[in-house]
Amino acid sequence: MALVGAGKIAEQHLLALKKVEGVELAGVCDLSPALAEYTARSHGVEAWFTDYHAMLDACRPDVVHILTPPATHEPFARECLERGLHVLVEKPVALSLQAFEDLWALARSRGLRLVENQNYRFNDPIQRLRAIVARGDIGEVEEVEVRMVLGIRGGGRYADENLPHASHRLPAGVLHEFISHLAYLLLAFMSDGDTRERKISAAWLNQGGGDLFKYDSLDAQIITANAHGHLRFSCHQWPDSFSVTVRGSRGLASAELFHPSVRVVKVRPGGQHLSPLMNGLAEAGTLVRSGFGSIWRKIRNRTAYEGLQAFVAGTYEAIRTGSEPPVTYGDMERTLRLIDDLLAEENRL
Amino acid sequence: MKLLVTGAGGFLGRHVVAAATKAGHEVRAVVRPKSPASAAWAEDPAIEVFRADLRTRAGLGGICDGIDCVVHLAAAKSGDFYDQFAGTVIATENLLGEMVEAEVGQIVLTSSFAVYEYLRRPARSEISEESPLAVDPEARDEYCRTKLLQEQLVRKAAEEWGWSHMILRPGVIYGRDNLWNGRVGFPINSRWWVCTAPFSTVPLTYVENCADAIVKAAERTADNVAQVVNVVDDDLPNHWIYLRRFASLQPVRPGVIPLPWIVLRVLAGTASFVNRLALRNSGKLPGLLVPARVHARCKPMRYPTKYVRHVIAFRMSCGWEVVGRKADGTSSTS
Repeated sequence: MALVGAGKIAEQHLLALKKVEGVELAGVCDLSPALAEYTARSHGVEAWFTDYHAMLDACRPDVVHILTPPATHEPFARECLERGLHVLVEKPVALSLQAFEDLWALARSRGLRLVENQNYRFNDPIQRLRAIVARGDIGEVEEVEVRMVLGIRGGGRYADENLPHASHRLPAGVLHEFISHLAYLLLAFMSDGDTRERKISAAWLNQGGGDLFKYDSLDAQIITANAHGHLRFSCHQWPDSFSVTVRGSRGLASAELFHPSVRVVKVRPGGQHLSPLMNGLAEAGTLVRSGFGSIWRKIRNRTAYEGLQAFVAGTYEAIRTGSEPPVTYGDMERTLRLIDDLLAEENRL
Repeated sequence: MKLLVTGAGGFLGRHVVAAATKAGHEVRAVVRPKSPASAAWAEDPAIEVFRADLRTRAGLGGICDGIDCVVHLAAAKSGDFYDQFAGTVIATENLLGEMVEAEVGQIVLTSSFAVYEYLRRPARSEISEESPLAVDPEARDEYCRTKLLQEQLVRKAAEEWGWSHMILRPGVIYGRDNLWNGRVGFPINSRWWVCTAPFSTVPLTYVENCADAIVKAAERTADNVAQVVNVVDDDLPNHWIYLRRFASLQPVRPGVIPLPWIVLRVLAGTASFVNRLALRNSGKLPGLLVPARVHARCKPMRYPTKYVRHVIAFRMSCGWEVVGRKADGTSSTS
């Protein structure tokens, strides 16, 4: 395999690849020669490039990981697919549903895999939340809320006015970097039914003002025949968090991804009178475990990218065996469709 | 000479621009697009402000035109590895590309004492220009890793293009606007501070002394007198004296608790042993519990100054006692 883009996310992909058998890094490409060389050498590879065409010609990989800024995903993926290479691409796979559909048609016509990284689907809290919902512990899903709080205006690469981050030029500004995560996690728990009957309202706001950020806040509602969805992104709150809460006809379950934990409120043994006490005790236990678990994870150097390992392993398994990849056409299509709809509803709440 | 000074808007950069103009040089001061530049520069015909961010080649066109020597100070000290890589390594890569285009043949790079090896060196040994560089940069911090890569880039380019170059490695640069120094201790709260390794020497260099040394290095680079020069002052305080001085400047003077070097060493050694045994070295521990880092920050070492005096005729204008008062504002002799 070869890697286009050697930034921060590349480090996570390379870590994940170390645990996948039969995969060999053939080359690394980045616009910065120093970064390309450093990344290649750090992983025992001599072949590094600043031109991805040259890398594809020289290394002849079977799979290419496209880890460049979002606006470049679609053209780079197209070229790789045209060269007959499987593509594993960072989110968003494309900046519109139509662009994705065109890529997909190309991949399909060549019998190739085109897979978008939707890593948080595979994080342990989300897997546990899915199991809780699938077992029917909280009954029929009525409402799903996905909430992300990230202090990106307080400093760091997105707030840097000296060299504005490339994401500021995306249709949803910097939020385009995060909207895929919110959308696919919402859809993982919420049936969107007939999308023509789906009601969407979305407020994209720039609460912090200034020219750098197009938007820094999103508050969106998605209403289908069966359930209500709520997406919320803010960079004006504290602490940072990323949570998915599913409310059902017989309880609720919530997963936190940045400080991994899962809490469940449901009818417990002892009936309705003892359930509040039992739920309280269970929640206390969850909070204590989460507190110690956060420190332990920090010591063990575990990050919120834990799901990437399962995603990468599953994708390579699908390429090898021809089975369904961990992120399917349907997963990507629904995610892109929702993002398109959210953008179309800009500021109409 | 006409000097290009990168990082000119920073703490050291402002003093380097002042020292360079005082020495009669013209300066093209590189300041990031949204960073403040000294208002006085606009009225000084010897100073030209060039607005650019070195992390991208866009906007750097002409930056090196007509320059005799580049004085490269710009670097990133905060953020994760990739932020520091961009601010230090990619910025240098872009600058070197511009030097090639403009055919500038001299560069002075300001590096750091952070690039030296400390863990495998005996306590109280000398850190000199010949001292070995960090053997295992991955075990150190992002700053050490990126400064080493930056030095490599400059050496490689100088070799390839036949440039004269000098790498200056200052110790801890301090001055009135920059007195806090994490290696001497840390606050527990507003009332109590901890002084780490109180008897270890702080390799200080007062910002004006350091700026003078950098300008002198630019003047001597073409002579190819040396490729690496450490910059530290002559009379160096220990951690205890430095921290107590800093504590005395606080509105409410905090109590200072000493944490001896031997205790730090044992703590870090034990944590490292447990990490190796129980977690197969996969644990990520605080800096004070990582031997490579705690040795780099706190180990008692000696810092000779003969070389810098000899090679670039550097004469320290202010010693610690005078500078201590000057830096903390208790002296009128600034």
